[in-house]
Amino acid sequence: MLLDTTPATSGFSLLQRRQRGALRLSGLLAAAIGTVAIAGQQGDPSVKRLPAAGAANGALTIGAVIALTGNANLYGQDQRLGIDLARRWSLSRAPQRPLRLQLEDGGSDEATAIAAFNLLIKQGALALIGPTLSQQAFAADPIAQRRGVPVVAPSNTAKGIPQIGHFISRVSAQSSVIAPLSITEALRRDPKVRRVAVFYAQDDAYSTAETLIFQKALAARGLPPVTIQRVQLADNDFQIPITAALQLQPQLVVISVQAVAGGNLIRQLRELGYRGQIVVGNGLNTPNIYPICQRWCDGILIAQAYSPELNTPINRTFLRLFRASNPGESPSQIAAQAWSAYQVLFEAVQRLQARGGLEDVGLGQAREALMQELLSGRYDTPLGPIHFQRDGEVVQGRFYVAQVRMDPGGRTGRFELVRNASAPASAAPAAGAATSPPVPLTAR
Amino acid sequence: MIESLLQTLLNGAASGGVYALVALGYTLVFSVLGVINFALGALFSLGGYLTYLLMGGRISANGALPGWGLPLELPFPLALLLAAALTGLASLVVEKLAFVPLRRRNAEPLLYLITSLGAGLVVVNLLQMLMGAEGYAFPASALAGLPAAVVVAGARIRSVQVLLLAVCAAAVLALTLWLERSRGGRALRAVAEDATTARLLGINSDAMLRLAFLLSGALAGLGGGLIGVSISLPGPYVGIGYGLKGLAVLVLGGLGSVPGAIAGGLLLGLAEAMVPSGASGWRDALAFAILFAVLLVRPSGLLGRRLVEKV
Repeated sequence: MLLDTTPATSGFSLLQRRQRGALRLSGLLAAAIGTVAIAGQQGDPSVKRLPAAGAANGALTIGAVIALTGNANLYGQDQRLGIDLARRWSLSRAPQRPLRLQLEDGGSDEATAIAAFNLLIKQGALALIGPTLSQQAFAADPIAQRRGVPVVAPSNTAKGIPQIGHFISRVSAQSSVIAPLSITEALRRDPKVRRVAVFYAQDDAYSTAETLIFQKALAARGLPPVTIQRVQLADNDFQIPITAALQLQPQLVVISVQAVAGGNLIRQLRELGYRGQIVVGNGLNTPNIYPICQRWCDGILIAQAYSPELNTPINRTFLRLFRASNPGESPSQIAAQAWSAYQVLFEAVQRLQARGGLEDVGLGQAREALMQELLSGRYDTPLGPIHFQRDGEVVQGRFYVAQVRMDPGGRTGRFELVRNASAPASAAPAAGAATSPPVPLTAR
Repeated sequence: MIESLLQTLLNGAASGGVYALVALGYTLVFSVLGVINFALGALFSLGGYLTYLLMGGRISANGALPGWGLPLELPFPLALLLAAALTGLASLVVEKLAFVPLRRRNAEPLLYLITSLGAGLVVVNLLQMLMGAEGYAFPASALAGLPAAVVVAGARIRSVQVLLLAVCAAAVLALTLWLERSRGGRALRAVAEDATTARLLGINSDAMLRLAFLLSGALAGLGGGLIGVSISLPGPYVGIGYGLKGLAVLVLGGLGSVPGAIAGGLLLGLAEAMVPSGASGWRDALAFAILFAVLLVRPSGLLGRRLVEKV
């Protein structure tokens, strides 16, 4: 300042007073920054110490982000049931370290899933299960990865999900492993098929990934599609693409869309006169399609990662608990995968606890340790024996091809096992890893 | 070639009929109030769910009252008409809550968009709370007696689409005749022309406004019921997409024009149907590109000259 008319009042020069003022201001700023930092650190749950296992609040929180609203709710309600049954089963095993399940609605869009992930991470969840859709996972998983929170995806089958980061894993085998099995079965039934029509939802990550796998499998058998009809995730009236496809007289239709649209697509295909085989992808792997396509669902082929007919103790327990709450029904693959997601977390936590890995550590350390434990374990689940590759990809030994059989009224039905198949070589356990023993199947 | 063209025409007409129905709902309110009722898409959903419940449908496990249903099982045509009437009444409630308070204050037209959008969201969320988010399918018996599809000169169309087209055409025709020839219809048009003058001539313009909302809601409800039986109810938001398409048709046909809404609906439906099979991924984009091109040439819409201009 060039002009200063302020008189000196305390023997200090103007410059000295300003220096003192600047110092005071710096001190205040430093204090404020320190306070904010401490408060921030206190607000960051990852630095908190875990409670002792025997403490009254010793239960650790597992968050589940499930689609309870929106289109994907059809899968979400199966997942909620599967997780809840697994939680009840885990409580019956008198765990050393109990788990507390916190369920959050992940909606059917990316924004809701992200909000649910953020909420659960902020509230100190040890690990997360979810989200329901691959499309959501690509948006929400990077948040968990950045915050160092283990995620087990129960139903994300698109390529690249575990590769989002080393905290991301899945119990749902990717489409490239399973999807081609149903094509093989369709061609085994009718080797004369030459004309194939493909439908997929172009605005959905799972559908676009899966259709490429289907198309690759078809091309490998010398059957490039005669038409590829791209639809939208929210479409439900398919008169236009169906009539366009039927003009090319396909002998096989291959569909990769989500459940509601898929149910409508199948129904309308049949109503418009298509009589050939229909192969569908994982999006229709839920009994919730039955009320939509009704009697027209009958006969569709689908490859699955789960069969209710798997005769192992854990699957018998799953079936018993499921049928206690849903008499006369069989669980879907999605419910079995949701159970498995909770089960692998539960077992990894108990192993870690038994080794003392969860005592006197911060939440951040516990999350890191849990992820390592999760990936190193082997699990006997309703899906059969599974373990994980180093990148979080599931290794599952056995898959199935099912056919939908509708009851005479056309309102309910079941997935009838038509073939079980070993995992393709690319999906089999890595060299040196123990291979899964043959899995017994009960005859229906 | 002719078969293919006929197939395209049938496909386009079936889609366009529903778009026209929704656009007519917008048109009725716009012509008398000069604003757009954004709650119409939600009322479309409501009509679908009401039709389902009136046919004896039950609420699923994720709804507020699992397993609950109305103690009646009406045949589809009766359920459809009753649901349309009930949706019309719901539209009156929307008018009372979202439009009347603003009209009393002479509010800016933009505010009506916000309040009607809010009312629509409330309706959709109430539906979700009550019915759950999962899809509902009408029983196959809804169309018992009809073949799954009919073949017209080699072109194949689902019977339900033919029914949908026929009901839409009948509704549009009835509404047009009523507007042109009945005393009530002429009164409504008079209010649309100039509410103040109409009032001086002894027409109760408030009653006419309510009538416009009633009819508009009934048309949306009718569309919802028809779509429900055609493609099931995929969730409470089913009407939102149709509402947006109806809005596009309203603009395409010319704001406030009844013939414009019909022509716009059919044009949009045909535009969608004419997208070649190989470019199916561009269906919406190409259809809306046509809309864009039409508006560039005729900014007031296809039949914009017939717009009722308020003085």
